[in-house]
Amino acid sequence: MQSYISIENLAKSYGVVTAVNNINLSIEKGEFFSLLGPSGCGKSTLLRMIAGFETPTSGAIRLEGADVTDVPAHKRPTNMMFQSYALFPHLTVGKNIAFGLQQDGLDKSEIRKRIDEVAEKLQLSALLDRKPAQLSGGQRQRVALARALVKRPKVLLLDEPLGALDKNLRTETQLELVRLQRELGLTFIIVTHDQHEAMTVSTRIAIMKQGQVLQVGSPSEVYETPRSRYVAKFLGETNVFAGGRAERSGEELRIESDEAGGGLRAGFTDRVALDQPFWVSVRPERVELSTSGSGLEGTVEQLTYTGVERHYRVRLNSGATLDARRVNLGGESDLRVGDRVFASWPPQASRLLAE
Amino acid sequence: MSSVAIAPAATPSATTNWGKRLLIAIPYAWLLVLFLAPFALVAGISLSTVRLGMPPFEPLTAWDGSILNLRLNFENFLYVLTDDTYLLAYLTSLKIAAISTAAMLFIAYPLAYGIASCSPSSRSLLVFLVIVPFWSSMLIRVYSWMSILRNDGLLNALLLKIGLISEPLRILNTETAIYIGIVYTYLPFMVLPIYSTLSSADKTLIEAARDLGCSRISAFWRVTFPLSLPGVAAGCALVFIPVVGEFVIPDLLGGADTQMIGRAIWLEFFNNRDWPTAAAVTIVLLALLVVPIVYFQSRQARAQG
Repeated sequence: MQSYISIENLAKSYGVVTAVNNINLSIEKGEFFSLLGPSGCGKSTLLRMIAGFETPTSGAIRLEGADVTDVPAHKRPTNMMFQSYALFPHLTVGKNIAFGLQQDGLDKSEIRKRIDEVAEKLQLSALLDRKPAQLSGGQRQRVALARALVKRPKVLLLDEPLGALDKNLRTETQLELVRLQRELGLTFIIVTHDQHEAMTVSTRIAIMKQGQVLQVGSPSEVYETPRSRYVAKFLGETNVFAGGRAERSGEELRIESDEAGGGLRAGFTDRVALDQPFWVSVRPERVELSTSGSGLEGTVEQLTYTGVERHYRVRLNSGATLDARRVNLGGESDLRVGDRVFASWPPQASRLLAE
Repeated sequence: MSSVAIAPAATPSATTNWGKRLLIAIPYAWLLVLFLAPFALVAGISLSTVRLGMPPFEPLTAWDGSILNLRLNFENFLYVLTDDTYLLAYLTSLKIAAISTAAMLFIAYPLAYGIASCSPSSRSLLVFLVIVPFWSSMLIRVYSWMSILRNDGLLNALLLKIGLISEPLRILNTETAIYIGIVYTYLPFMVLPIYSTLSSADKTLIEAARDLGCSRISAFWRVTFPLSLPGVAAGCALVFIPVVGEFVIPDLLGGADTQMIGRAIWLEFFNNRDWPTAAAVTIVLLALLVVPIVYFQSRQARAQG
């Protein structure tokens, strides 16, 4: 089956530096797709190649089956929302939004109609005669979005679109973006380094590192079943212990871990080769701490209170640290710094990871 | 362009306030003494009457026993404003300034654009090369143009040698020579402000324009050019104003038939020793230049509002 957007063996290098290294991706129509990774992982370069600002060193980009690799930016059916918004400072909000439509040679009444439509959707109707310098950050962000959306692109590219907003407004805008994307039925590709943002807005996430895509999947897939140590650590927090000798008993694995200082249990999986180096990971929210019983023994070293949760950092007898979290359900914590505790979790909460 | 407005955190303490005032006061005092005072003198002389002797004009005030007489003579202005010679000289000056400003804009804009699109390291070298001519005296440079443009000068020798012309062109002492001299001398003042706006322009705006469907050329006309207009305006003002009053270049390179206002003022002051008329010509010239500039500046300030 033909994908809406397919990226085939795409690579980009600047001299000896490889920014994007042989990437293959398929994105379907109507997806909200995230490219997630730390700065310098090549996610922006990939987005700019899709927009047509950078020419790939090799590989191809197809849109609805048509090869657009060599189509210049101004002839591609994609539009970009820039990190800095890149609003034209000499034009009013209305003229900024009209810019692309005028370039396409649409007649005046059609332009007027489309501007009114998008302005209403994004609550910009009252601001059309203002200059960008007279707007707040959130308003500018909406103008940038309107300017790109009004062209009705096949794909909307968003380069760290919410980076300049403060935290509260950012959360609000994320939900707004999702609503808009569903309503319009458009395909969005967003670049972000904020894993929380990627999880909130996306239908699927591609996690990138050093020019390569490590894993692609829905937010719950990549969070619940990361395939590598890097992905597990990049998405949320996790405890990772190097695994040693492993023994299968039925649907369970018993794993010796010197780092954790004891035996760990995990559900059996054939995805990880147990004769290669592997790791066992467990999310802090799955870890149970108790003052008696069995499990990994240690001492509570640090206790932080965030309102929603209490974070415990436990120093295990092996010397490694283990993080655990408890949702705040009211009342005081029964554990204090210095308490001896036993940490345990259900075998299904363990994940086996390759490098 | 888009900085977030931040309210002043607190009223600055009294000492920094005084320090700030002092910082502003010194250059203003300088302007007051070296610009406004001489200007007042010239304005005073323009309202006086010519006489033989030193200084060659009557004082404005006279002490008559117990009465202070103030005598303001507006004759000079009437004369300057009605006499064809001055009107013609004004018009010639404005015409030469306008044409040479336009010519400089056509040369300077592509040059500035070219420099601004170079890599940062070669940019500074190219800007340096634009400024280098200032290291020698302007007078010397104008003199060397005389030897280039003379009938038996370098240019004619070259053109004759390659057979483009059969007898020397008369360029020196014509209006063409004035244009060449002015454009050559003032070009850096046009290049630098345009270069400065172009080099500080936000490159992502061009990408945004391209993304919205502009070819390179239409992105230039719809984004780069309008955003460089403040630099163009500054460059035009920087060359137009001094060129209107230019004296040395037309005097050395121009002919007797091209009378510019700077030369008219010089002749009144030094040949005719008619200081009041010369001063009146100066004041009228100033008014002609200042009024439109103030108008445009206030319009621009309002547009940026």
